[in-house]
Amino acid sequence: MPDDRPTPFGPDPDLREESMQLGADPEMIELRADAASEGRDLELPGGDHKSKALEADAAATAEQKRQRRYLVKALLRSPTFMVGLIIVLFWVFMALFSAFITQSPTLTDPNISLAAPSASHWFGTDDLGRDVFARTMAGARTVLIIAPLATLLALLWGGIIGLIAGFWRGITDEIIMRLIDVLLALPIIITSILILSLLGKGTAIIIVAIGALFTPVVSRTVRAAVIGEREREYVMAARLRGERSAFVMVREILPNITQPIIVEGTIRLGYAVFTAATLSFLGFGLAPPSPDWGLTISVERVFLQIAPWTVLFPAAALASLVVAVNLITDGLGRTFSK
Amino acid sequence: MSAAEQPTSAVTPGAAALEVDDLEVTFHRRGRRLPVLKGVTLKIERGQAYGLVGESGCGKTTLAMAAMRYLASNGTLDNGRVLVDGQDVSTLSEEALRKWRGGKVAMVYQDPTQALSPAMRIGDQLAEVYHYHEGMNKKEALEQARESLRRVAIPDPDGTLRRYPFELSGGQQQRVVIAMALAVNPQLLILDEPTTGLDATVEAEILDLIEELRGRINAAILLITHNLGLVVRLCERVGVLYAGRLVEEGSAKEVFTDPRHPYTMGLLRCVPRFGMNKTDAALQTIPGTLPALGDPLEGCVYSARCPMAQPVCKRREPDFYAWPGDAAIRGQAEAEAMPPDPAAYSPHHAMPVGESSRHTRCYFTADVESMPHLTPVLATSLDERGGDTDVLDIDSMVRTFKDGSKKLTAVANVSLSLKKGETFGLVGESGSGKTTLAKCVTGLIPADSGTVTFEGGILKSTAGKRSQDALRAIQMVFQNPDSTLNPAWSTRQILTRAVRKLGGAKEGSVRAKVDKLSADVRVEPRFLFQRPTELSGGQKQRIAIARAFAGDPHLVICDEPASALDVSVQASILNLLVELQTKEQASYVFISHDLAVVRYISDRIGVMYLAELIEVGAAADVFDPPHHPYTEALLSSIPRLDFEKQRDRIPLRGSMPSLTDPPSGCRFHTRCHRSLGDICAQQVPPDMDAGNGHTYRCHIPPDELLALQQAGASEPEPAETL
Repeated sequence: MPDDRPTPFGPDPDLREESMQLGADPEMIELRADAASEGRDLELPGGDHKSKALEADAAATAEQKRQRRYLVKALLRSPTFMVGLIIVLFWVFMALFSAFITQSPTLTDPNISLAAPSASHWFGTDDLGRDVFARTMAGARTVLIIAPLATLLALLWGGIIGLIAGFWRGITDEIIMRLIDVLLALPIIITSILILSLLGKGTAIIIVAIGALFTPVVSRTVRAAVIGEREREYVMAARLRGERSAFVMVREILPNITQPIIVEGTIRLGYAVFTAATLSFLGFGLAPPSPDWGLTISVERVFLQIAPWTVLFPAAALASLVVAVNLITDGLGRTFSK
Repeated sequence: MSAAEQPTSAVTPGAAALEVDDLEVTFHRRGRRLPVLKGVTLKIERGQAYGLVGESGCGKTTLAMAAMRYLASNGTLDNGRVLVDGQDVSTLSEEALRKWRGGKVAMVYQDPTQALSPAMRIGDQLAEVYHYHEGMNKKEALEQARESLRRVAIPDPDGTLRRYPFELSGGQQQRVVIAMALAVNPQLLILDEPTTGLDATVEAEILDLIEELRGRINAAILLITHNLGLVVRLCERVGVLYAGRLVEEGSAKEVFTDPRHPYTMGLLRCVPRFGMNKTDAALQTIPGTLPALGDPLEGCVYSARCPMAQPVCKRREPDFYAWPGDAAIRGQAEAEAMPPDPAAYSPHHAMPVGESSRHTRCYFTADVESMPHLTPVLATSLDERGGDTDVLDIDSMVRTFKDGSKKLTAVANVSLSLKKGETFGLVGESGSGKTTLAKCVTGLIPADSGTVTFEGGILKSTAGKRSQDALRAIQMVFQNPDSTLNPAWSTRQILTRAVRKLGGAKEGSVRAKVDKLSADVRVEPRFLFQRPTELSGGQKQRIAIARAFAGDPHLVICDEPASALDVSVQASILNLLVELQTKEQASYVFISHDLAVVRYISDRIGVMYLAELIEVGAAADVFDPPHHPYTEALLSSIPRLDFEKQRDRIPLRGSMPSLTDPPSGCRFHTRCHRSLGDICAQQVPPDMDAGNGHTYRCHIPPDELLALQQAGASEPEPAETL
């Protein structure tokens, strides 16, 4: 039947809410989501039993595909997520290819030092006459190496600790969580400065330091998710099969808590960008003449009054990346929680 | 002065409380039209109680939502009208609608915890209704709130006013919700599964309350339920909904004693009758499943599942015929002569729908009473299932939990034994310790003390310490179909893993075993590639049963395996369990709060109250006097399907005592209607022997108890079948 009726959905449709609207009865949704027959089917006189079964089969496969594509589709339709994603992809692209697009970020020209933005230098030039646009575009590189790697480390460590604490509970959990409380009480910037002072500078050390400092928060999130999952009946069934704890944690529980872990990961990513920039601002990152945003803001801030563009553009770039990551987090969180 | 004496809304003379006229509701989803209700016409006279029954997904709740004008934004009312007290609901403005809801029509939802705001005191929530609808000031409103709590017989109304919802039990919460719904004296009260999720005795109390209130209020009631027994108790009329179509309608008594539509008959036959046992009769399952929303339906909506369907049923949908009348309706020739016109509805609304009228949407109405019984008796006698060797022997098991600083005893000194191939039914209200006992047996949690002997060997306390052989031999089927299977695994992965770990099968034969298991539980192979979220509740539970049977277990503990399912699905799950037991000679511990289900499936039954096993015996012995006064009360509280045999209910006094501080002497003495006085409060009663292995824990000896209970109750009844 052709349907010319406008559908009353907004731009951001949502499966569960929609299903609730359909019946207000979760069992109904479940039953109806699946046209399949159960028990014996009757061979009706004159009935087209076989073709019905085939139809149901096709419907079931289609349903399966739809389910799988659903999350991706919902994300692609979420403006929050898409804006964030586009900005992040823009900076990733610039980090990789800005060398082919802009002039060299380290090319100095004393004749045009601290020139205001113009057609030839869109973002103006800095004290050494370097093109601020070129430097801003290239400045994403270090942050985009440090932040994701540090986040992955935090997810790995925090995931392991959270799984163990949440699954075993008892005294193990008690000890781990008290330790984590202690770690959480430490101010991140000061502690990372101490670590870097102790171990020396370097990208690898910054990654490890940020990763370690984010581990407690991640492990808390993972632990909470594990606790919600471990009392479910499929976990009991696994125990009654004699599965080992490691198997239950990694194969049974972990696949069912990926959503909170992904959301937590993107939240951490935003903070990691922030922390990495702060550290390089404080002089614990790369050395000049690197175009790194934090470093640039730190070095050029003396010119803030006479040539604000030298600071404002890298600062805005940094802000855009942090905001973009947060938009992605938001979009993911909203889509998952639906 | 109570609110009942001051009606707030003027009553339109002559108008029915609810009139639904040729109602058609469609949901829209991704540009698809999904018809939910099609041509539904019904009328509820003032003061009448109308039951609406059917499986989940038939459109019952949608009808209620349409009556409340609460349809979701993607639902449209395509045709027909809903009149409440003569007023067309669709003409109301938003402002009028707000006053109208709760004023003229009120609704009681299934889950009282969601109907009450957790952050507001009961008094404030109730007073708000009076404040909003009657414009009372705070003091008057609170006074009325107190009055309304008194009306629903809440003990200590003053204390309750100050409490938050979480401080009340489920039954008390539902009383508050009912008080709130009745606050402004509505013309129509919609009850959507009002007792689902409540214990049998609490359910009975709520039903008593509704029944009692009916005498005092003038509201008509629309009761939506899947529990046919509720309709028998409360309603004069009943409508049976299937796939959005009203398929049968009439007086509740006539419809349930003499159903004239195959679906009604199917529903009645798949519910275990009181006293029915698997060795005498089988539950008749309804084949197939409810069509999905939007599935094309040709001819009669029920034809795909109907055991009586003829070619004509597929070709043209039957009208809503009056019965008896319409000259036996076998309008086959007539119908066949007519060209099929699926697009046009037959003019249902022209049908006179009144108190006496009865309608059914079937061509072969006259044949329904002889509808074939397709499911044969599946169970063999206990002797044939093994029956004489002991499998499980639990000796004085104790399990306590910490509740703050207090000690909570969940299982107190329970001993029981189980034979090969036997089903031991465990009944009792929630919190009586059934599930804890089961978990201790399987080793999911360790018992504090006591021994579990299994096939001659003493079991280690936890599953982790037990051998793979012991694990294989004792498996469990869980209650919740939604969490029993790992949603991240495909069905085949789930079964394969179970066969590998439990079956001890070699790599090559694992596949064959998985195929055999899925065939045994009748899950078609194509579903093995799907994830649990894509399966129906019944299918999930079948897979869970297959998983439990992966290693040919000797003991399977079934913890409410069918409680979350619709009656027809429940019947097929119960039959499957019976069939597997006959085939595999496995023993079952079957836990359920549904007494009729337990009676049907069990050979022996144990009754738990407050962590103690207070009565054990053969199923029939436990159900007939002499039995423990608690069992007697429990049995009297089940809503029965038979109209003549409604027993006088024995109300339990007070509420369930706390497990942290159980009553002294007999644990049941605080609520017992046969209490002997001091001796019950002071001395722990002995286990009385009523013969045939039937014991109960009471001070009253069997002969005296028998005399007492026979005086009050009717004759022992044979199970009735349709």
